[in-house]
Amino acid sequence: MLRGKTELVAVVIGVIALVAASYWGTRTYTLSRLTGQDVIFETFEQVDETWLYSDKIGAAAASDVERARVAIGGPLGLSSKEAVYFVSVTDDQGNPLRSQCTYRVSGGSIDSRWWSLALYDSETQHYVPNEQNRSSWNSVSIPKSDSDEWVINVSPSPQETAWLPTQKAPEKPFELMLRIYNPSDSLRAALPNIDLPKVERVSC
Amino acid sequence: MLGRYSLYAVLAATLAALTCVGTNALVIQQAPVKVMSTIEARIAKAAGEWNACYHNQEYGPRAEAARRANPDSIISSMAYDLSDGPVRVSGKTWPRYWSISLYQQNSNNFFVRNDLELGDANFDFVLALEDHDTSELAGETIRSPTAKGIMLVRRFAADADDMPGIVANQEQMFCGPA
Repeated sequence: MLRGKTELVAVVIGVIALVAASYWGTRTYTLSRLTGQDVIFETFEQVDETWLYSDKIGAAAASDVERARVAIGGPLGLSSKEAVYFVSVTDDQGNPLRSQCTYRVSGGSIDSRWWSLALYDSETQHYVPNEQNRSSWNSVSIPKSDSDEWVINVSPSPQETAWLPTQKAPEKPFELMLRIYNPSDSLRAALPNIDLPKVERVSC
Repeated sequence: MLGRYSLYAVLAATLAALTCVGTNALVIQQAPVKVMSTIEARIAKAAGEWNACYHNQEYGPRAEAARRANPDSIISSMAYDLSDGPVRVSGKTWPRYWSISLYQQNSNNFFVRNDLELGDANFDFVLALEDHDTSELAGETIRSPTAKGIMLVRRFAADADDMPGIVANQEQMFCGPA
């Protein structure tokens, strides 16, 4: 079928080049789908304008893509048997959370052993460095009213109470992660449609 | 002549498609394993060796923490390798919140237990593979699906004032060959 040595060599070189190009091209594309900003949340369930939810963290039931994205973007999470995770990348109007804006995050009692609300830079997927060394508030440390209501002020500028600092650099996307440890049976039965904190933009 | 080139084109397209599908599956399957191996190496280096615990004793966000780590959870970690036999993890729980969680090499959290479920202020676990005989060993045996993996003990620190108690609690832990 092949006519001559030259043609055989051309075919072999072509096959090698084709396989190499297909491999590197696909590898680059697949990794970009696993590591890009916010891709970890693409398969999370949209609960409302603000919050996303997944019960597949660390789970054997997670798809291969979900498992890979979580391993890269937030490894070693607890399975939903122990803790549940909600994430917000938008405010209650559906607008992306941005570092130069001030937000009021408010909520009430969450029926669980404890909870924490942490802030991460969406680009680095890490804490936002700040002089206060503050990246979270939790159910014990947060000041609460007599009726267990609380407010966290997310802002690049100092706030009088419960300040959660964002970056001073403008237009940096960030996210809020609510972790609920040992949720009560009634809260677990209602998941993901539970009373979640409200994230309102105050100013920009 | 044209027929032969058409055949080459079909074969090339088929080969490219198969390579793409295979590479995509391979990258997705191997990504968690690669991440776990990287974290295991970091933990083992910090602890001094495999099958030994590294204790974070710093409150709040840390630059060297994993991506999207919880700063309110103070962690003791161990990269385990059961190739040479079972490994023991024992100590005392922490009253605000304590849990032990185990991750197999594909990153699945295959075991977790908290202090309330334990019902005792002391814990004593033996990590072992399916074919390890642990009948002579004290403690509850946990079977790991893979020889290598990661163990985490989480303790809830409400604020920095909890740290002295947590550090003392960490120092009561034993992590090592059973």
